[in-house]
Amino acid sequence: MKLFISEGNPHCLKVLSALGVTGVQCDVQCVNHEERVVPFLSRPAVPALLLPNGLYLFSSNAICRYLFEVNGQESSELCNQWLEWEATDLQPALLQALHMAVLQGKGSEVSKVLQSPLNFLDQSLGKGNTPYLTGEAVSVADIVLWAALYPVLYLPFFLYFQTILCQSAAQKVLQGKGLQGMKSYMQRQPAPHS
Amino acid sequence: MTNMALRELASLEKYLGLKKPNKYSTQGDKKVPVLQNNNGPPLVGLVTIACHLVKEAQRPELLGDSAESRAVVQQWLEYSVTKLNSCTKEDSKTVLKDLNVYLQDKVYLAGNQITLADILMYYGIHPLILDLTIQEKEQYVNVTRWFDHIQHYPSIRHHLPVIVVLRNRIYTSRHH
Repeated sequence: MKLFISEGNPHCLKVLSALGVTGVQCDVQCVNHEERVVPFLSRPAVPALLLPNGLYLFSSNAICRYLFEVNGQESSELCNQWLEWEATDLQPALLQALHMAVLQGKGSEVSKVLQSPLNFLDQSLGKGNTPYLTGEAVSVADIVLWAALYPVLYLPFFLYFQTILCQSAAQKVLQGKGLQGMKSYMQRQPAPHS
Repeated sequence: MTNMALRELASLEKYLGLKKPNKYSTQGDKKVPVLQNNNGPPLVGLVTIACHLVKEAQRPELLGDSAESRAVVQQWLEYSVTKLNSCTKEDSKTVLKDLNVYLQDKVYLAGNQITLADILMYYGIHPLILDLTIQEKEQYVNVTRWFDHIQHYPSIRHHLPVIVVLRNRIYTSRHH
């Protein structure tokens, strides 16, 4: 099994954090942004996981899900719901926010773009009586959301996020450069639609 | 305007043979489907609800029969809800091109067995295939073959019209 990552790519934070939390053994290879790792995709897609059966996973959420399942933690319906929300609601907002912050130097407007998904997340955490999104233990949903938000929230203001220690993954991907660590990655992404 | 996600869920219920149709509502600007769940909090999201229905119908094999195939199924489910809605002409070409290469040596998205990924991808890609010219259908021959196979699979099609795929021309290379 082989995991392909690239420096400054925010999706790699998710998979490296999941790898760290689950302790699954896996070869990790760092490639550049242009490398076409997944043979059937015309655009470069990193992170990618080459499975033992020869198939590729090119969705960071699917890779995290797989690592957790191999480690004996199959995702619950609540996890499914968070992962779907992350992919359909949070990611488009994050892409827009990162585009503004990293490429347009409009860091101050990030909170406006992210306000609605962050309110939703905050309300959901406020309603539950559990420390994590789906219960008493860290699940794949916590890792995926933590890592997705880390680049924009890495100022320590959510206690929730501090409770998950995946700092080494963050160090590896962002090289201690914060948002600017993602510049060359963001420059290669299509501009958000809205 | 009819909500596509709700029609897809209704068709999926019929395919799964679920006796009692569920009642759904929608939330937000994007009209995300919501299922009121008797045994717990409501479930939100097309893929999340679809996976729940598959479990309710006791058809777990539709979500994949190994950790690997389950991850592959989830990946294509995510792909169908993130890439196929609000897709521009340019995006749709990339989707069709990539799927065409992927399906070159596969009967179904997750290998040799039909899964929920094939069903939702079929529903989601239907408008794209509907737009294709005959020449384009031949260009994306693996996608068209897979699509035709799914639309003729027992009781999946329901609310959607059959799209004619010129089998004779597409399959001639195999027979000669």
